[in-house]
Amino acid sequence: MHERLSFHIKRDSALHRLNPLTKIFLVLALILVAFLNPWYWTPHLLVLIAITPLSLLARVGAEYFRAAARLILPAVGFLFLMQAFFQPVGEEILFQFYFLDVTRESLMFAFSNAMRIFVMVSAFTLFLLTTHPSELMSDLTRRGLPGQFSYVIISTLQILPQIQARAQTTIAAQRSRGLETEGHFIKRAGSLIPLVGPLVLGSLVEVEERAIAIEARGFTSKSLKTSLHDIPDSSIDKALRWALAVIAILSITLKLWLS
Amino acid sequence: MNIEVRDLHFVYPTGFEALKGISISIGAGEQVALVGQNGAGKTTLVRHFNGLLRPASGSVFIGDWDAARCSVAKLASRVGYVFQNPDEQLFSRDVGTEVRFGPRNLGYPKEKADGLVERALSLTGLTDKVEINPYDLSPTWRKMVALASVIAMDTPVVIFDEPTTGQDAATIARIAHVIAELHALGRTVITITHDIDFCAENFDRVIALSNGQVLLDGPAGEVLGQEEILARTYVEPPQLTRLGKRLGFKETVRNQEEFLAVVARSAR
Amino acid sequence: MAFVNLQNVTYQYPLTKSPVLQDITLQIEEGEFVAIIGPNGAGKSTLCYALGGFVPHFFKGEFSGMVEVAGKKSSDATLDEWVLTVGLAFQNPFNQISGAKYTVFEEIAFGLENTGVPREEMKSRVEQAMAQTGITDLSDRSPYTLSGGQQQRVALTSILVMQPRLLVLDEPTSQLDPIGTREVFGVIRAMAERGMTVVMAEHKMEWIAQFADRVIALKDGATLLEGTPQEVLTSDLLTENGFGISRYTSVAREARRRKRWRADVPLPVTLDQAAEGFAFTPPS
Repeated sequence: MHERLSFHIKRDSALHRLNPLTKIFLVLALILVAFLNPWYWTPHLLVLIAITPLSLLARVGAEYFRAAARLILPAVGFLFLMQAFFQPVGEEILFQFYFLDVTRESLMFAFSNAMRIFVMVSAFTLFLLTTHPSELMSDLTRRGLPGQFSYVIISTLQILPQIQARAQTTIAAQRSRGLETEGHFIKRAGSLIPLVGPLVLGSLVEVEERAIAIEARGFTSKSLKTSLHDIPDSSIDKALRWALAVIAILSITLKLWLS
Repeated sequence: MNIEVRDLHFVYPTGFEALKGISISIGAGEQVALVGQNGAGKTTLVRHFNGLLRPASGSVFIGDWDAARCSVAKLASRVGYVFQNPDEQLFSRDVGTEVRFGPRNLGYPKEKADGLVERALSLTGLTDKVEINPYDLSPTWRKMVALASVIAMDTPVVIFDEPTTGQDAATIARIAHVIAELHALGRTVITITHDIDFCAENFDRVIALSNGQVLLDGPAGEVLGQEEILARTYVEPPQLTRLGKRLGFKETVRNQEEFLAVVARSAR
Repeated sequence: MAFVNLQNVTYQYPLTKSPVLQDITLQIEEGEFVAIIGPNGAGKSTLCYALGGFVPHFFKGEFSGMVEVAGKKSSDATLDEWVLTVGLAFQNPFNQISGAKYTVFEEIAFGLENTGVPREEMKSRVEQAMAQTGITDLSDRSPYTLSGGQQQRVALTSILVMQPRLLVLDEPTSQLDPIGTREVFGVIRAMAERGMTVVMAEHKMEWIAQFADRVIALKDGATLLEGTPQEVLTSDLLTENGFGISRYTSVAREARRRKRWRADVPLPVTLDQAAEGFAFTPPS
């Protein structure tokens, strides 16, 4: 049983209360600054003065650090190694690893790039942790995003746990019919069709019925849609969005002016 | 093949305690119906019989095998399990291949498998549909394909999860016939069902579960008469049992013959 | 003019060789609770789809005749207009979850959001509908983690909340435990008392007999019998045509054959009728 179908953590915090669009602005502004600001230590500083304090402000510090340690750091670390070893820049060789030269420049380059990616992924993570997908979609629909579009997004977000649940039942059913799903690779490869077949064929039946079900509930109704959730959009939100937009534009201008 | 369940507990990862100390023993060749409200633990219990779930504590023995120590694939040679939704297991191009899948997994020689498949198809009325793609059949018939595909495995124990849901009278009669044939072959049949009249007419023994515990366990005639206790797990006695009660019968009747016998006696 | 009016409805799905519905004509009054019975493949579900507008608007194929509800013909309306008048819940509850919502409360509100119901009204209607079907305690659960029976109640509530004038239900209790089944029949009966018209395809004869006003028996896509539960459910034609009947009726029929049921007493369809009839058992 999967009670949790989204990353969202329900807490009461200033960040949670912000309008979803404001948070999108915040994420984009952070990314733009991290990638475009010419100063070398900008991304590093952002982690210190923006990402970490925001995670604490949102009261999702524990969840954020867990995600950072388990998912973001390993991925970013891998990226760092790849770039440090394979980026042919600079002359000052720090050390050699077989035929690979690691220069000071490539190390510095890889480090700042990794930190930029880290800021980007962290910002998104904070966004997902503090924003309920249906709130986001209701807000965007209210602002003119077509209802079908948000349906596709949300149902896609939910499809993985669904497929997972369905796959588990299918695996259980086929194992009950004596299918060996443990053991070595070749044996498992042979059991692919009985496992994937029902997933695909059964889904075809499901899709048609699902279409009828949402149609029966007025999905294609031409009347103006309303939303169950009242999504706050305060004057603070509006002011924040302006401020963030200015920061973003400044970053872009600075980048263009310097290049 | 005996099934011995000793003080079985099970907790889902969500923390929901689905089984709270179940102890039952089912002898070879018994016909047992499991009844109880949605969420009482019926499916959770039977999934321990073929190893799909492992006890948090307590034990389940299928004959001399400890179910907790056997793989599902191994237990499949002793316990067949028909799932509720056929669409979650059918994958073959034709009915014949689908039904042969289980016997093939169990490694039966070809002649034996042929015989078993043929018997399963004829029991379920599928003989003339052997070359049809299961997904071209109606949901009713797809359910029969799922049934046949497990019966063909020729296991000493067969479990049915809600076999009569959404089925019409003719199909229910066919399922009852399948169960009777399995009984005649000495197989143990365990069926989860909400259809209490079906249960009364086809099973010797009834186990009522409620909130992960055994509420009642005994001969169908005894269990199905306990109106107040059954109500605790959202089950009502069968129609004729209730009618007998209403008419002041001293004994619990559960099918037409028993009912008419009492009527005849009291008229004398 | 009847509230629901079907004239010579014939329909054939694409890729099939013969029609599933053959020349069906029937009238239903407003506030009536009509049960449709019949063996699998008799056309019950297709008839439900025809009432719900999905035949012919969603399923293509050959459609002829007329489906009229509240003075409007389904052929003159678009599907999104039609579903405001006719609500449809079908058999399999697993596939009726919208997939766009994270809680049961949101799931039930989905139809009201789509049709533009104001927020405050939406909330009170959802709460009220959940109380009616007894699922208030599921409010914050994810629809995907529910049992089949719970999902079935959610699917029913999701349609009830839209307050259609005609409610069409295809086996709405197939996943429910016995007492849950009776509760749901009770809820639907109460809807009919308040003026909602109900058409329900079902196999469970005992509850049809007790709750429905009228029964239509379908066989091979055509109407075999039509009348009160008493008239239809005790007809010999049912058993001859492979229909299931309640144990009350079948035991009384057998008793009548053995002269244990008075020939002048009609066969029973409910527990009360059977108890009354057997209380008069003639001595042999």
